[in-house]
Amino acid sequence: MSDEKILLKSENIDKRFGITHAVDNVSINIDRGEIRALIGENGSGKSTFCQMLCGIYTLGGGRFILDGQEMHIRNQVEANNLGVSIIVQEMGTLSGLTVAENIFLGHEDPFMHRGIKDTGAMVKEAQRLLNEYGFNNIMAGSMIDNYNFEDRKLIEIVKATYMKPKILIVDETTTALSQNGRLELYKIMDAVRADGRSVIFISHDLAEVLEHCDTISILRDGEYIDTVNSKDVNEDDLKRLMVGREIGSAYYRTDYGKVISDEVVLSVKNVTVPGQIEDVNFDLHKGEILGFGGLSECGMHEIGKAVFGASWDRSGNVTLSDGTEINDIPSAIKHSIAYASKDRDNESIILNESIKNNIVLPSLDDLAEKHILKGGKLKKFAQEFADKMQTKMQGINQFVSDLSGGNKQKVVLARWLGKGSDILVLDSPTRGIDVKVKQAIYALMSELTAQGKSIIMISEEIPELLGMSDRILIMKDGKINGSFMRSETLNEEDLIAKMV
Amino acid sequence: MRNFKTSRFYGYFILAAMVLIFYAIFKFLTPTNFGSPANLFSYFQSSIIYSVGGCGLYFIVVMGLFDFAVGANIVLSSIVGVILSEKLGYAGFIIGCLGCGTLIGILIGFLYNRLTVPSMIVTVGLMLIFESLAVFVAGGVKQTLAPELRFFSGAPGNIILAALAFALMWFILNYTKIGTYCNAIGSNEFTAKNMGIDVKKYKLIGFALLHFFVGIMAILTVSYGTTMTALTGMSTMSRNFQPLMGTFFGVAFRKYGTPISAIVIGEFIIAIIFNGFVALGAPTTIQNVVTGAALLIIVTLTARGKRGSVVK
Repeated sequence: MSDEKILLKSENIDKRFGITHAVDNVSINIDRGEIRALIGENGSGKSTFCQMLCGIYTLGGGRFILDGQEMHIRNQVEANNLGVSIIVQEMGTLSGLTVAENIFLGHEDPFMHRGIKDTGAMVKEAQRLLNEYGFNNIMAGSMIDNYNFEDRKLIEIVKATYMKPKILIVDETTTALSQNGRLELYKIMDAVRADGRSVIFISHDLAEVLEHCDTISILRDGEYIDTVNSKDVNEDDLKRLMVGREIGSAYYRTDYGKVISDEVVLSVKNVTVPGQIEDVNFDLHKGEILGFGGLSECGMHEIGKAVFGASWDRSGNVTLSDGTEINDIPSAIKHSIAYASKDRDNESIILNESIKNNIVLPSLDDLAEKHILKGGKLKKFAQEFADKMQTKMQGINQFVSDLSGGNKQKVVLARWLGKGSDILVLDSPTRGIDVKVKQAIYALMSELTAQGKSIIMISEEIPELLGMSDRILIMKDGKINGSFMRSETLNEEDLIAKMV
Repeated sequence: MRNFKTSRFYGYFILAAMVLIFYAIFKFLTPTNFGSPANLFSYFQSSIIYSVGGCGLYFIVVMGLFDFAVGANIVLSSIVGVILSEKLGYAGFIIGCLGCGTLIGILIGFLYNRLTVPSMIVTVGLMLIFESLAVFVAGGVKQTLAPELRFFSGAPGNIILAALAFALMWFILNYTKIGTYCNAIGSNEFTAKNMGIDVKKYKLIGFALLHFFVGIMAILTVSYGTTMTALTGMSTMSRNFQPLMGTFFGVAFRKYGTPISAIVIGEFIIAIIFNGFVALGAPTTIQNVVTGAALLIIVTLTARGKRGSVVK
């Protein structure tokens, strides 16, 4: 392979966080004009690798050579200036600024004349870029706070790509986008490749990886495993390379015809949340997995909040089998309802707290003896459920912020397992989670329903809905638009027809 | 409708409605003592002094910082300005107030960055030092501004100076990196750092700007009152809060893109309420209770985030 063909050389890249060896001596070359997927389990080091490349983390060891020049990067703007941009998994834009200010943050100099910022020109240029990308509905002069998560992601795509970076990193972005948003992103990736530049694409969706990437590099436990051509492998090959063993057929449920109990454990009647959901009615049965699907703005995520008593201005009734009304979060938790939000980092876990404190949080009343909490008991409790979830950690005193997405989700589930909740509302339970943890979560869901617990699973992944639900309700424009029972003959088209 | 509700026109609409509502209430309750055009002009003149301080505080409050040394700096800068004015006239007065104010801001910013302790603690400590320093500089004597140097004591001098301060604030927010970076740091300091923003530098600039505006406030304050006495024992603390109330309005109306107007009109609303109670003959304690309650109600109704959102 000639050096001219190689755009990025990474030599012996290394990074440690305390005793965790996050990236272990990884060397990968990226060619010009290719889309390279970087895959691996959560905690395999792929995001850390990319965050070193784009200046978010400092390099622990080794060197990056871009276009023949060694890179010395101290922050993201320096990386941008050298030709590396990233679109991150979580929110990457800043509140309190306009759309234009966000797009050009750190790159205001073209609009500065003797220290004075030409705001009008900046807004005009930002609007031109937004229009060029086809995002005409976004106003460059508006405060970014006026836009939803997906629109803000689209703005971030413009921010990351307008400078025509030599390397564009797309880190688990597609899970935040609707189908249209995904198509826009794929188009942009294709354009980058056609232009002789390159994309590093991180995703847990292996079908998406195989469809849109030319080559795939696999990391496992921080180490480089292999690079393969997409056309030479299938999903099972990739799973095996990622996990280091065969992933069995029990990825999704394989049972059909399970008889759902007549016993209703939760009843939702005429529930409306203004602007979100309207007159929603359904029953949740004992031992059932009830799936909710739809397009991203269909209101399905609000269903989880409404059931958990976390929606404001909710009208209608959420009632348990004993007649107890659930109108707020404390009564939901008290009556054995658990909720895992789609926005894991902001709504489900306390990032700057230990694993132990995150797990024991809702169970403190149960663990207290005459209102006194004993450290040893809390520790034992947290350890038990963290172990049960096979959380990959240095210890239960490790901060959750240090964990990968999948392990954070394990902490969330460990918390509710510890609480012994009978009704679990899981919003996007496998969002941004690797295949091995996904398999563990699906197995746990089956185990819980076998114990008689009930699950509401809200998901943007149609295969997940088809694979795990006993019954599927499809939402459209805030209302339930379709209902399907689990069946071997049910397919994606049936669900999509009710979504659009 | 949704676009209108997020536009600056909606922000102005709410502010104007609040002015009219409070004016109408007090005019109804005490039609003879309150609210003549001359009275309103007087309320406005007193409120713009605090508005200038509110503009300065905006730079650090949006970054999530706080400053308890504003009152102490008003006193110290006023005294330095008056003393210098005795020898250098207006030049000494203006340079004394602005120079002392800004230097103190730089010192606070520098110490905050170096000590890496919360801004509240740094500024409480420095407030005590500045109060004592003011007593030392004044020599224990009340400082009086010479009658021939009182151009800023009333209209048009005070309005011109305040207008210049507001224009400067508008310019900095809209036409320099400082406004953008202060907002970015307040939104997410880690991300701001990753965008190449020198966070420490902009925090220092924030404190320097705040106290430059405090310097302007000192000019207006000592011109309006004509004298300044240095006091110790945290007695300057009360001077911190009225400008801060205007800043709350500014932060609240940031979402409409009208922070400066909100600070100015917000302080005017507070002046209307305060003077309305004076016109009613209410005791000071009641005035304070109602002014505080009105501020809470107004900010709650206009500034609060989405229901259910996290507020710290």
